[in-house]
Amino acid sequence: MEKRQDIVLGLIFVGIGIFAAWTATNYKGASGTYPMVLGLVLTLLGATVAIKALRKPINQPRTLIDAPAKLVIAMLVATIYVALVIPLGFYTASFLLVLAMPLALGFRRVAYAMTVAVVFMSLVYLVFSVLLEKPLPRELILSVISVGG
Amino acid sequence: MTLKATFIGLTAATALAAPVLAEYPERTIELTIPAGAGGGTDTSARKLAILLEEKLGTSIAILNVGGGGGSVGASQFMQAKPDGYSLFATWNSPLTTVPQVQDVAYSLASFTPIASTSETAYTLCVKTDFPATTGAEFLDELAANPGKYTYGNDGIGGTMQLAAERIFQAKEINAIAIPFGGAGETLQNFLGGHVDIYGGSISTVLPYVESGEAKCPIVTSAADVPALEGASGLEALGLADKETLLWRAILGPKDMDPAVVEKLANVIEEAVNDPSYVEFLATKGEVPNVVKGEALGARLQSEYDALAEVSKALGL
Amino acid sequence: MEFYTNALSHVLTFGPLTAMIGATLLGVFIGALPGLNPVMAIALLLPLTYSMDPLVALAMVAGIYNGSMYGGAIPAILLRIPGTPASIATTFDGFPMADRGEAAKALKIACWSSAIGGIASAIALMTMGPMLARVTLFFGPAEYFWIAIFGMASVAVMVGSDPVKGMMAAVLGLLIGTMGIDNLSGQARFTFGQTWLLGGLDLIVVLVGLYALPPVLQLAEKCDLKGLSAAQLKLADAPFEEGEIRGLIPTWLRASGIGIGVGILPGAGGNIAAFLSYNAAKNASDDPSSFGKGNPQGVAAAECGNNADNAASMIPALALGIPGNVVAALVLSALTIHGLQPGPQLFHQNPTLVGGFMMEMLITSVLIFALGGAVATRVFAQFQRLPGVLLVPTILILMCVGVYVINGRPVDLWVMLIAGFAGYFLEKVNFPLAPVILGMILGPMAEQSVRRALLISRGDPTDLVTRPISAVLAVVTVLVIIWPLVKMMRRRRRAN
Repeated sequence: MEKRQDIVLGLIFVGIGIFAAWTATNYKGASGTYPMVLGLVLTLLGATVAIKALRKPINQPRTLIDAPAKLVIAMLVATIYVALVIPLGFYTASFLLVLAMPLALGFRRVAYAMTVAVVFMSLVYLVFSVLLEKPLPRELILSVISVGG
Repeated sequence: MTLKATFIGLTAATALAAPVLAEYPERTIELTIPAGAGGGTDTSARKLAILLEEKLGTSIAILNVGGGGGSVGASQFMQAKPDGYSLFATWNSPLTTVPQVQDVAYSLASFTPIASTSETAYTLCVKTDFPATTGAEFLDELAANPGKYTYGNDGIGGTMQLAAERIFQAKEINAIAIPFGGAGETLQNFLGGHVDIYGGSISTVLPYVESGEAKCPIVTSAADVPALEGASGLEALGLADKETLLWRAILGPKDMDPAVVEKLANVIEEAVNDPSYVEFLATKGEVPNVVKGEALGARLQSEYDALAEVSKALGL
Repeated sequence: MEFYTNALSHVLTFGPLTAMIGATLLGVFIGALPGLNPVMAIALLLPLTYSMDPLVALAMVAGIYNGSMYGGAIPAILLRIPGTPASIATTFDGFPMADRGEAAKALKIACWSSAIGGIASAIALMTMGPMLARVTLFFGPAEYFWIAIFGMASVAVMVGSDPVKGMMAAVLGLLIGTMGIDNLSGQARFTFGQTWLLGGLDLIVVLVGLYALPPVLQLAEKCDLKGLSAAQLKLADAPFEEGEIRGLIPTWLRASGIGIGVGILPGAGGNIAAFLSYNAAKNASDDPSSFGKGNPQGVAAAECGNNADNAASMIPALALGIPGNVVAALVLSALTIHGLQPGPQLFHQNPTLVGGFMMEMLITSVLIFALGGAVATRVFAQFQRLPGVLLVPTILILMCVGVYVINGRPVDLWVMLIAGFAGYFLEKVNFPLAPVILGMILGPMAEQSVRRALLISRGDPTDLVTRPISAVLAVVTVLVIIWPLVKMMRRRRRAN
C-alpha cells in the first residue's frame, strides 16, 4: 500500500518538475533560470521518493481514505456547490448546501438542519452584506422575481 | 404570472442594459480597483466613493482586484456589463504603461472614459552630499557617468521608470534601474544607501527633503511643484514634451450610454472639487484634475503613444 | 514619560475605549474566520473614520490588528484550520492538545501568549521605536535575501517523518510563488495565458484550500450525527498549574524578541515570525521530538511570535514613513488624512496622537487577556455542539465567502477546491503542507532580493556575503541549519 502510494506521488512530482523546467526555458534571462532550477530539483526529489519506495523491503499498510463513500459524497456536494454559487447566487446556493450536505451524509433531522440554515445564513448576511458591504454573487431568484413583477 | 408576462419581462430585462437616465442609479454600484487594499489608488478611490454615495444617493461596493500591476483587475473589469453599475477606479499605469510590457487582453477601446480625478508628478531625489543640486547639474552628472548610478523605481516597465527613462533618453543618460515593490520600499533602500537615487511619488520622500537628508533636483511634470522648492520642472530644462504624470480616473466598460457617462462625469467633478476631497488630496501631494469623456480618451491615447515610443527604445 | 501620561489621558476617554473594546472583539472574529483577514477589515473601516477623532480611528486599527492575530489561533486549535497564515504554526501543537482533551488549556496558552507578545511589542515600539527604525535601513536586498533563506531553514522543523517529502513540499511552494508577472523583468511565468493568473495564486486562497478543506472532509468522513454535549466539550477553565507559567517564560521572551525583530523589518511579517519562533522553541527544547505532538511550548511560541510582530511593524512606518506591511500603510494614510506627515518629524509634530496610538497598541494587547478567552470558549467552541455533519457545510460556506470576497472571482473558488482535494491526499501520504505555504511566502522575497542585489552589485555575487550585516546573517543561517544536526548526532553518540 504505502509503497505504491509513494511511487505514484514521486512520479507525479517528477512530472510537475519536468513540466515546470521545460516551460521555464521559454522565459527570458534571470526570470527563467530560477524556476527552471526549481523544476529540476523537484524532479530529482520526486525521483528520490519513488526510488526509495521501490527499494523498501516491507510494505506497511497505510489507508488513504477512511470512509470512501462519505468522502466521495462530501467532495461531490462541495463541487456542485462551487459550480452553483455563481448561477444561483451565493445565498440561495449556500442555503441549499446547509440542507443538502447533512442529508446526503445521512442526517435525517430536517427541521434541525433548516433552523441552522436560517440562523447561520442570517449571520453571514449581517456580517458580509450589511456590515462589510462585500459584493457576492447575485441571486438568480431575485432577478426572476423582479422580471416577473 | 403568465408566459406572456414573463416574455415581456425578459425583453424589459434586455432593455435594462441601457437604463433610463431618470432612474439611474437605482441599485448598488460596484467599483473595481485594480490594486490591493491600502495603496494610494485604493485610499483615494474609497474616499471619493463616500462622497459619490452621498451625491448619487446609492451605495457603492468596492472590489479590490490586485496583481499584475493592475492588469488583472483591468482584464476582469472589461467583461462587466456597460449598464452604469460597474465602474473602474484606476491610475493611468494599467491602461497606458502595462500594455507596453505585458500581453494584455484589453486595449484603450475596451473602456468608456468617464472622468479623471487627480494627478501628481514623480520625482527623482538624491542624498544631500550628491555632487549636483539643480536639475541641469543633476542630468549633466548622470550623463557624465554612464552606468555609475542606480535609481530605485516602482517596478520594471512601471510608469515611474518610463517617466524617468523618457528624460534619460532625451539626454542620453544611462542609469541602472533597480525595481522595487513600491515607493516605500524604494525610500527604505534610498535612505539606507543601497540605491543612489530615489524615484517615486513626492509625498513619500517629502519629510526627508524637509529634514535636510535628501534633495530633489527634478520632477517629471512640465511645471514646477510648489511643495518641492529646489526641484526643476521639465519645462525649465527644455524637456516640456517629456512630461509623465501619475493620475487617477474613473472609467466604465465600453459602449456605455452617453447620458449616463455625462451624469457620472458631472457628479464626479462635483465630488472631486468638494473641499474635503481637495484637502484629502493635498495630504497626498495630489491636486484635483478633472478631464471628462472624449477629452479623457484623447489624453489616454496620447500618453499611450508616447510611452510606446520609450518602451520600444528600452527594449521592453 | 510625560509624553505617555499625556497621551494616556486622551486614550482613556469614552470614544477610544469603546472603539478598542469593540475592535478587539471584531478582530478576534475576523482572525478566527478562515479567509477573512485584518487588512480587509481595516481597509473597509478606515475610510468611514476619516471624519472622526483620529484616536478613535487608530483605536480600531489597533484592536482589529491585535485581536485578529490571536483569533487565528482559535480554529487552529479547535479544528486544525488556521484562521490566518500566521497561525499555521499554532496548529502543529494546538490541535494535538485539543485532540487529547486539552482544548481549553491550549486556548488559554494561546490567549496569554498573544497578549504577552503584543505587550512586549508595544513596549518595544514605545521605548526604542525611532532607534530601531534607523537600524532597519542597513538592511538592503542582500540582507533580505539572507532573511528569506533563514526563514526557509525553519522548514527543517516541519518536514515531519520524511525529509525528502518535506523538501519536495517546500520546492513546490517556491514554484507556486513564481507564478504571475515577475516584478523584475515583466515576464509572465506559469500563467498559461490566463489573465487571472498574472497576479499569481493568492496566498489566502491556497491556504484556505490546503488547510481548511482536508479537516472538513475528515469531519464528513466521521459523519457525526449528534454533536458534543456541554460536558464533552471539556471547556471548563483550565487554570495554570504551579510552575507552568515559569516554564513558559523563556519561550515567551524568545518569541517576543524574534517577533519584534522580524516585525521591524519592512516586508517580513507575522507569518514568518510565528514559524521562526516555533523553530527556535523546538531547537532550544530538551525534548524536540515532543513538538508537533501537543507540546504547550509550541503553541506559546507561535502565538507569542505572531503578536509580537504587530506593534513592531509600526516602527518603520511611524518613525521613517516606510510602511512595512499593508496595515502599516493604512495607518500611514489615516495619519496623513488627519494632516500629519509620517517621517522623522512625526514624534515631535503630534506627540498626543503618536503616543496615543502606541498606548492603544498596548491596551488592546492587554484586552486580549480579558476578552480573548471568553470569546474562544463561550462563542467559537460552542459551534462544536452542532452535529459534525452540519459543521461541514457551514465551514465550507465560510471558506467560500472568505475566498470570494478577496478578488470577487469565481475561479478562486475552484483553486481553493482543487488545492483542498490535493491537500487531503497529500496529507495522507505524509506530505507536509506547511512548507508549501512557507515557500509561497518566502520564495518571492528570496528571488527578488537576490536579483536586486545582483543588479546593484553589477552582477558580482560576492556582495551577498561580504557586506558586514549580510556576512553575519549568512553565518547565522548556516548555524541554524547545522545546529539541530549537531544536537541529533550528539544525542545519538550519547545513546551509543
